[in-house]
Amino acid sequence: MIYKTALATGVMIFSAGLAQAEESYRIGITQNNVGVDSYQTTYESAFEQAAAKHGNVDVIVLDAGGDVARQIGQMRNLIQQRVDAIIIWPTNGQAVIPAIRQAHNAGIPVVVTNSKIAEAGLDYIAAFSGPDNVQQGASSAEMMCEALNGEGQIVQIAGQPGYTTAMERSQGFEEKLAEACPGVKLLETQPADWNREKAQRVMENFLTKYDDIDGVYAGDDNMGVGALNAAKSAGRADEIVFIGATNFAVGYEAIERGEYYGSIYQSPVDDAEAALQTALDVLAGEEVPKMNFFETPKITANNLTEFDKPVF
Amino acid sequence: MASIEQGKQAILLNKKYKEGLLNFLSAQGILVFFLICMFAFSLFSEQFLSQSNIMTVVRQASIIGIIAVGVTIVIIGGNLDLSVGSMLSFSTVLVVDLHDKIGPAGAIVLMFVLTLMIGAVNGLLIGFMRLNSLIVTLAMLSAVQGLVLIYSGGKNVDIANQSDTWFAIFGRGYVLGIAVPVILFAVLAIIVQVGMSYTSYGRRIFAVGGNPAAAVYSGIRRNWCVFSTYLISAFCVACAALVLGSRVMGSQNNVGQGYELLVLAGIILGGTSLLGGAGSVWKTIIGVLILGFIQNGLLLLGYPYYTQWLVTWVIIILAVWLDLANKRKRLFTTHS
Repeated sequence: MIYKTALATGVMIFSAGLAQAEESYRIGITQNNVGVDSYQTTYESAFEQAAAKHGNVDVIVLDAGGDVARQIGQMRNLIQQRVDAIIIWPTNGQAVIPAIRQAHNAGIPVVVTNSKIAEAGLDYIAAFSGPDNVQQGASSAEMMCEALNGEGQIVQIAGQPGYTTAMERSQGFEEKLAEACPGVKLLETQPADWNREKAQRVMENFLTKYDDIDGVYAGDDNMGVGALNAAKSAGRADEIVFIGATNFAVGYEAIERGEYYGSIYQSPVDDAEAALQTALDVLAGEEVPKMNFFETPKITANNLTEFDKPVF
Repeated sequence: MASIEQGKQAILLNKKYKEGLLNFLSAQGILVFFLICMFAFSLFSEQFLSQSNIMTVVRQASIIGIIAVGVTIVIIGGNLDLSVGSMLSFSTVLVVDLHDKIGPAGAIVLMFVLTLMIGAVNGLLIGFMRLNSLIVTLAMLSAVQGLVLIYSGGKNVDIANQSDTWFAIFGRGYVLGIAVPVILFAVLAIIVQVGMSYTSYGRRIFAVGGNPAAAVYSGIRRNWCVFSTYLISAFCVACAALVLGSRVMGSQNNVGQGYELLVLAGIILGGTSLLGGAGSVWKTIIGVLILGFIQNGLLLLGYPYYTQWLVTWVIIILAVWLDLANKRKRLFTTHS
């Protein structure tokens, strides 16, 4: 088990007048599966750094390793230790609800980060902080519409079936496309499990099946680049517009080269900082809305330079 | 009287005919099934039997096929190898990551050496220490996945300059109009099959898998034979990683997840017995191709790809049933 206590040893800023600096908080976080992908790995270090910046925050950083049972155990541990607040990156939106309710009953506010939990659990959480995946899908649909001038036929390569993120992005994309861009026809959707090689295979089959594809929407850049690879080796990349989400370094570079139209910039650093800030706001007694979405802007060749290349 | 004779003859003929059909089905059932599937799909999709589609499917199937060639040998030798999925992740991440650090040649050599070392560990534990192969390789499956995560720190690896590296040839290249992955698959399959059919080494593996005690009494060094099958398996995984890494020009750290089961499915479908001592690489190739074409066919017909899991399941059950029917000499058993 990863058990790190990042003590706020850094710069102790006694910014006068800030009530926050007076009180010291202990915040526990249980993450989903650090180490399995770059996003989560970056999130963890960004969270620790953000906590170190606040002089008065002491964090207990835990990782569930993708295991629901372990995450529930970690929740119980944090409740036992009587931390001031718990941040949870749910391994499963349904199964963690009883543990969240336990914390709620013990008077410990819970902030859910990154991926949502099921409706039934919303009463027990203080707030959710994370990306708005429906909005991301809609933004991608807008870019697609713009890139194709409102006309054409496209295919969609979605993330893992059953994942909230995948479903919300597809939903946002399809709804927005139908509404704002009736001239663009979605020919077919196939999942590729966030896997680049699988996306490449799916795209190869699409290219065989359809003689005319004008655009591809992929649930993340990793899959989008897989689709791009397939189109390039079939010699059809020039006639196809590629749009993704969660901008990866490979996607960023492909936009730079002009092979990829656009994506959605979602920074794990922003994600981590937003989660910590939400928890601190809750602890400070502020009125915090239930749903807090950090900004995930569109990124295309036009505004590429405004963003740092993602580290993953 | 004549009519009774005729009747008897008719029954006999019928029986003969039935037996003949049964024999044919049990021996070549999978091939027949394959042809029926191909025909059925071609009715619904114009592109299915197009040259470009067939080439696409064979190219896609070649990664699983290359691994399956190695695992077939392990299975003929009487053992299992479930660790190939994680090993594929390991080797692919390694070769892609090292490509930019020490150059393609060094990356390939180092990747082969390290992959063979994992195979050697499997071989030592199973061949020399006689541990159960199912458990050893299952444990190796998670251990190697752990190694990959430690090595990569959870990050995806990519090859920065994709357009001018000769590394691209393994996954994207063509020789005489045939994709290099397909050529690699074919060459590997031929070498291994010839080795199994025409050399004393091949006969020894069959003997060890079929009847280990008898093999030992005949002076065969069983430990070394089993050990060598895991080296072959690891070598095949390394070849597959070469294709995969070059094809994608990057790698996630769990890219090989689930490959162990796809490989096994192809082998079982082909008709290689999981009990060891029997089987062939040819059968495995057909099994792997059936899986590839079904996946592609269902996609072309517009089914979501998880219907393919169901269809694959049905086909594997059918294959196992035909295999058993062959051994029992009847399609259904009459006693419980």
